Formats: sequence, C-alpha cells, structure tokens
Amino acid sequence: MYAYDKYDHAITNARVAEFRDQVERRVKGELTEEEFRPLRLMNGLYLQLHAYMLRVAIPYGTLSANQMRRLAHIARKYDKGYGHFTTRQNIQYNWPKLSETPDILQELAEVEMHAIQTSGNCIRNTTTDQFAGATADEVADPRPYAELIRQWSTFHPEFSFLPRKFKIAITGAALDRAAVKWHDIGLILKKNDAGEIGFEVLVGGGMGRTPVIGKTINEFVHERDLLSYLEAILRVYNEQGRRDNKYKARIKILAEDLGAEEYARQTNEEWARIKDQPLDVPAEEAARIKSFFRAPPLPVLPDDVPAVDELEKKNFLFKAWVKNNTNPHKVPGHVNLTISLKPHGGIPGDATAEQMDLVAALADEYSQSEIRVSHEQNLILPHVAKKDLPAIWADLDEVGLGTANVGLLTDIIACPGLDYCSLANARSIPLAQAITERFDDIKRLQDIGPLKIKISGCINSCGHHHAGHIGILGVDRKGEENYQLLLGGSGAEDASKAAILGPGFDEHGIIDAVEKVVAVYLGEREDGEEFLAAYRRLGPAVFKEAVYGAR
Amino acid sequence: MALVNLTGVTPGTWDVIDTDSAPREGAAVAVPLARLADEDETFFKAVGSVGAIVPTDAAYTDLAPLANKLAFVVIDFPAFGDGRGFSLAVRLRKDLGFKGEIRATGPVIPDQALFLKRAGFDTIDVADDREAAFKAALERFGAFYQTDFVGQLSVAHLRHSKTDSSDKDADGERKAS
Amino acid sequence: MAKKITGPQMIVANRLLDGRVVFMRADGSWSTVAGDAGTAEDEGGVAALETLAQKSAHANEVLSIEVIEATIRDGKPFPAHMKFAMQATGPSVRTDLGYQVSPNWER
Repeated sequence: MYAYDKYDHAITNARVAEFRDQVERRVKGELTEEEFRPLRLMNGLYLQLHAYMLRVAIPYGTLSANQMRRLAHIARKYDKGYGHFTTRQNIQYNWPKLSETPDILQELAEVEMHAIQTSGNCIRNTTTDQFAGATADEVADPRPYAELIRQWSTFHPEFSFLPRKFKIAITGAALDRAAVKWHDIGLILKKNDAGEIGFEVLVGGGMGRTPVIGKTINEFVHERDLLSYLEAILRVYNEQGRRDNKYKARIKILAEDLGAEEYARQTNEEWARIKDQPLDVPAEEAARIKSFFRAPPLPVLPDDVPAVDELEKKNFLFKAWVKNNTNPHKVPGHVNLTISLKPHGGIPGDATAEQMDLVAALADEYSQSEIRVSHEQNLILPHVAKKDLPAIWADLDEVGLGTANVGLLTDIIACPGLDYCSLANARSIPLAQAITERFDDIKRLQDIGPLKIKISGCINSCGHHHAGHIGILGVDRKGEENYQLLLGGSGAEDASKAAILGPGFDEHGIIDAVEKVVAVYLGEREDGEEFLAAYRRLGPAVFKEAVYGAR
Repeated sequence: MALVNLTGVTPGTWDVIDTDSAPREGAAVAVPLARLADEDETFFKAVGSVGAIVPTDAAYTDLAPLANKLAFVVIDFPAFGDGRGFSLAVRLRKDLGFKGEIRATGPVIPDQALFLKRAGFDTIDVADDREAAFKAALERFGAFYQTDFVGQLSVAHLRHSKTDSSDKDADGERKAS
Repeated sequence: MAKKITGPQMIVANRLLDGRVVFMRADGSWSTVAGDAGTAEDEGGVAALETLAQKSAHANEVLSIEVIEATIRDGKPFPAHMKFAMQATGPSVRTDLGYQVSPNWER
C-alpha cells in the first residue's frame, strides 16, 4: 500500500487545520452557510435528513487493517456504531456532529486517511478494480496510477470549482469490475505493440437523469503522459461545461454536445501545448509510487486443498461460499475473497464496528493486512490462501458476514434512499431487504445465477439502477413511494443502459414484478445462458407480458 | 475594500469606465472586454494604460488579440463557485504569455486565496473585514501536488530534486505497509 | 414561499452544531418533538414563523429551514409528507436508532 511521506502528511494535516478553522468561522458567523457548504462538501460533510453525514475517502478502495480499525473506532466514538460502504468504494457515517468533525479528520489523518473531495464540484476519489494487483486477469496494477491521480487532483488550483462533480475510474483487467464506461473519465490499462503501458481514455460516461456510456477519445495515452492528458480534458470541461443548469453540467452533456471527435480534437490540441511542461511526474516518482504496490511475497501453494474439499462435502453453505465469494488470485493456491455485506434481510453495505474489527483481524492473520472495498459495497480480503478458507468462514459466519451470495441476485446495490438521504424520493433499503428475504435460498440463487439488481431512491442514480441487469428507481408519485422497473443494464465491459419496462409499482408490487422477471428468465433461458444474455436475446416483450399481463 | 497582494506585484490603480463613458486623457483605465474589442488604436493611444475587465464566461481566445496591448486584466467572478475564472488566468499566463497584473474581483472567498495565486492572479479585491482571513489562508499550505504555470513545482518533482534539503532518504526508503 | 397554503404549516430545521432535526415552537425556540411545533394556517402566520426561524438561522443556531405541511394527530402537529415524517421519526430501517427511540435519544 501507499505510505505517506512528509509532504503527504503535511498537506493532510494542513487540511485538518483548515477545516477546523472553517468550522470555527462558520459557528461564529464569519462564513455564511452558503459559503461554508461547498467547503464542508469538499471535506465530505453533507447535511442529510437526520443529521450530518461524513463521507470518508478510501482511495481506490484500498485499506490496511489498521485503517479499518480506525474506521471502526470512529464509528464507535463519534457515530452510532456502524458505517456504510458506498458504490464509490468509500465509507459514510450517518450521525457525526459538525463540532466533532475536525476531530474525526484528525483521527483519519493519523492513519493516512482523509475525507478530501469526497463531495463537491471537484475531482472525486478515483475508483478501481477491487481485485487490483491480486487478480489473474490483469494487464497491470491500476492502483499506482490511481494514487498519481489522487495526488494530482487533490486541491488542484484550477479544477476545484468545476461545473459539477467529476469521477474517474481505472481498470487494469479484461473484466471491468470498476464500471469505467459509466464515469466522467474511464481509463482502461493496455499495452501497445512495443509492450509499453498506457490507457485507452473514455470521456463522458455518467448516470443521473441522463445516462450516457462514455466514448473513447484516445486509444492509447502513454502512462508517462497520464496527468497532462487528464489536465487537458479537465481544462476543456472547466471552460466549456455548462454552468446554467446543474442537470446539464456534467461532462457527459458537453461531450454529447461537442461530439466525441471534437472533444478529442480539443483535448489533443491543448495537450500538445502542455505536454512538455513538468505536469507529469518524473520517472523516479512513478517508480517510487509503483514500489508501494509490489505484489506481496506469497508462496505458491497447491490449488487442491483436501480440508476445503472435505468441508464442502459436509456443508453446502460453505461450498456455495467458496464458489461464489472467491476469485482466482494470480498466485496459485490463493484467492481474492469477497466478504458479502448483503446479509439477507440486512442493509446493503452497512457494517458494524465489531464487524470492521473482525475483518481487520482476519486481514492481519490471513491477507497481508490488506482489505479492499468494492463498488458493489462488499469487502475483500485480496490475498487469502485457500487452505485458510474454513477458518475464515467460521469466523465470518459467527458475526453474520458469511453470506454466500456474491454476484447473485441478492448481492444488491442500494443507495441509502429516503431512510437517510435528503435528495431521495423513495426508500431503497427496505426493497433490498424484502427482495433478499423473498429469495432467501442459496440453492435457488445459484440456479438463477449471476444477476445484478441495483436500486436508486431518486434519479441521481447513486444506486446505479441504469447499470442494473434489473434496475429499480424510486420516485415520489403524489406523496407515495413508487418504483419503476428497468431491465438490461450493465456496468461491465459490455456496458449498456437499462430500459424502463412499464408503469411503476408500490413497494409490494415491485417485489412481485422482480420475481416474475426471474421466472420468465428461468423458463426461457438456454443452456448456461445468464440473465443478461437471455434478456438481450429475448427483448423486453416477453418480460413485459409476464409482469403486466393483460393490463 | 482592501487589496490582498498575492505575488508582491506593485498593484496598479485605475479608473473603471463603463461601456460608453470617455476616459481621462493619459489615465490608466479598466474597460469592459466587450467594449475593448470594438476600440481602435486611437483609444489605446489616448489613455495612459489599458486593462480589461473580463467576465468569467469570456473565452480566452477573445483576449488573444488584445493581450499584448493590456497592462492589466481584472477577472470578475459572478460567484465564487465559477471556476472558469481560474482557467482564464491560467490561459493568460500559459497561452498568451501575459506578464501584467491579474486581479480577481467579485465574491471570491478566503479559502480560495492559494488557488487564485497558483492560477496566476496577483491581487484580490476583498471586503475589509475579510483581509485577515485571506492572508491567513495564504499561509495554510506549504507543498502542492501539482506543477502550476507560475513556477510552483509539484511535490512529485520536489521529492526527487537535489535542492530538497530535507530527510528525503529516510522517507524515500519507507516500506509499503 | 409563494406556494398556496391549504392547511396547517410547521417549520423543521437542523441544528447547526450537531445536525439533529428540530421543530420550531410558536415562540421561536426549537424542540426535537414534532408535536411541540407551532403551526400557522394563513400567509401572515406562516411569514411570522419564517421570520422567527430566519432569525435563529442568522444567529447560527439552525440551518436548512423548511416550511412544511402538517397533519394534526391527537391534537398535535406531525409532518404530512413522508420525507419530513422520516425526519420526525428516524430511519425506518433502524428503529433502534433515531427519534423513534426517544426524543432525547442522543444522550
């Protein structure tokens, strides 16, 4: 993992002091709320329905065990004993006090963490593959580049007051687990014919009320040019992005208005002017950052572990857990283990302080003290030896973290919705709870196979409903919660926009509708055909008929 | 109003004239960009020096034909969140090679002082009761993650520069944790 | 502000220092109990409540002031719309937290 040097410490500590000063000035009335609001947002502090909410950055979803313990401590001392892991690989606390937030930031700074730019019209936390540096299917580890972007984007003098928020995602693997095509900038690591590393650059993806899939503006930007190229993209956006209407202010609107070709032309023209300035980092710095992400020295172990096989024979749930919650590691005999934060009937992404502490302890014992957060709101132990799986499972299961549903229908993304969020029009969490209770049967879930349900409580799409195989969007219809059903979205390398199937439902109707959609799939699928492929082959009509019948 | 000096420039003083009032002969005048675009050489000869008052929605290319005739530029922010003003200043320094004073006016806030400085501004017009807060904000950070266009190298470069007199070796050898 | 008044109105806000939801009493002080809220049913009355609330905001006591519709339950006001009702009770998915436990749940 990256470790701060004196510069990083100095900058982070200065930020804590600055925010403490800003809070004092706000409380004394020297800053109006209108002035303070963007400043607190740039430190991740929102005002939600019941209280402030603090969003803490987990840069590119990578955490040490010590950092996780600090997150647990903060949940206990300053909050109500839990936190919520988000679709941007961050964590949110739902009950912090304004007056105590500077102390929380101080506690974070001590473990090399912060809440910088987790909100506001600036460049947000760069997200990436939760298995980065540990998966078998990777061109290169995206985390050093994400760290480069973290530093470059922190307090950028020119790009801290953009037209709107700005999100960058990177993937280094063939399978896109970071939804890069749905980001303002998506970066796909690749090698050119000379074996050099660079990026395919996509611009203008985004969700919200106008979902757009990003378009490629450059097939290969050399890794040494990454920051100057990003700077060129951002300068074009900062100058020309719309500021008259917040719903048309994202880069996706500018990129659509200009067209991808024109956006590429303007970017390349600006980049030609700045590429020889020392905007990019020197080679020694790139090497220094990469050195923090060297693969851990894992021993090559046998892939066949008799103890695991035996327990699998005796215990179906363990067998399902191994099958669903592990991904092949690049070192034989190891796996990336996903800890589901989606217990059936539970709140997606929530973890108690005790659960966080346990995960930290397991990371210390079994995973090189490393933890990841996925955009699908789960936790990952990236470097686990297969032989340790039985012991880990026993510990997790005891605290309700042993659910064997990763990638299955109940591994639902849901935003906080109207239970917490001041923007929401409808609740999201109770739907996730009801769906996971309706489908509370791992055998049935495995039969259904990979199926991603994503629920948003309003059009801002924090629950990624546009990218759901099944998407659900909550709306306010004359003071009542109403839910629209969307089908056919994807956040992966085959990104697609989900389409609304028909009229909305109340909270019971939507659960029945999901079950009917699944029934159509089970009846119509061909051998080995997954839900999304079946939907793409069949089209919406057959699903519409089943859900709405003679209506 | 007070003037916060970011760069140690000798700040100019000038008459602000609007779209149709006549300048005093030989005076330094600040003129809206829209009017300057229509003025010919006689106007520039009649006054002592000319500066442009530029709204944030101006394109820097509109300034290009004027830049070498201007002694100073005032970038007027309609709101502190309008980040186009920062790019305008960057463009003036970087692309137009502008060496004169760049001043920020409008409701910018103390917490933007360093951003303004690093984007290329020299001075900021501020309310009297905010002068101290602006000056305090300038002292807040001593290291920066970006190379800018007014001479600040990023820490990425400083970390490997020989002039960095600090305990770089000790830090550079830190192991990943 | 210009919306038509069709029934009793009340004022909700969040306390500046801790963000907790508060309802304004008729005298301009704040309560964590929705039923304590002062109500008004005509333009003049609502404007008077708003003036009181703004005064408190200017004194840096509260923020995010909203005039909301009230329903009267057992003679006491309660937010009519589900979003503000949620503020009065706390999250529906954590009934062990928030105001549904007690108006003094904080300590």
